[in-house]
Amino acid sequence: MTITFRCVCALVLGAATVTAVTGCATVQPWQRGRLADRCMIFDADASRVGYMTHWQEAREGSSGGYGVQSGGCGCK
Amino acid sequence: MGRRRIVLVSGAVALAIAVAGGRPAAATQAPDVTLQRADGGRIHLSDYKGKVLLVDFWASWCTSCKTAFPALDGLYREYQPRGFEALAVNLDEERRSADAFLAAHPHHLNVLFDPKGASPAAFGVRGMPTSFLIDRAGTIRFTHVGYAGNVDATYRKEIAQLLGEP
Repeated sequence: MTITFRCVCALVLGAATVTAVTGCATVQPWQRGRLADRCMIFDADASRVGYMTHWQEAREGSSGGYGVQSGGCGCK
Repeated sequence: MGRRRIVLVSGAVALAIAVAGGRPAAATQAPDVTLQRADGGRIHLSDYKGKVLLVDFWASWCTSCKTAFPALDGLYREYQPRGFEALAVNLDEERRSADAFLAAHPHHLNVLFDPKGASPAAFGVRGMPTSFLIDRAGTIRFTHVGYAGNVDATYRKEIAQLLGEP
């Protein structure tokens, strides 16, 4: 069998595919301690976020800007 | 034709490696894992052969695990006089996190440690918490993934069934 340029390209592509696939790591359920850390939560302190949102809405007249269930009157 | 075959073989190899990287299937026979006691000593799961055994995998960062822990402790206290054994395998990477939780929650469960996670891998754990009920012959008979809070009756029924078997 003659080794052609296309043959080499196919082998390189195959090797690259294998490398890319095996580069994916599965985080097992018991390895999620760091992901569950408080610092990984966007709004870790719900009461503080609620207070800040209320303050911002009152100051800027932007009630509903973060999304509310209402008719769109802007009242709260 | 030769080139097409090479491409097909390359693809097949890539697919095989991707599949092999998945989670191991849950074995019917409980694996004989080695676990660390609080004092640093080691136990083997095979030490409990001949007993009805609950193995619960938990971690202090897992909210459902923390809910399940006292409930399983209650089940252990209830059935332990009848020969039931329960192992709570902690999977925290940092021991101090587990120790803080355990200090705040008095318990009777046998707490063991596996910070490297070899035992849940051997059991094929797919979620936290996961508990396995193992019969006297060392066979995994029931598996519970997660904890809903309303499954104590199910546990009781399963434990009673296994305790009633020879």
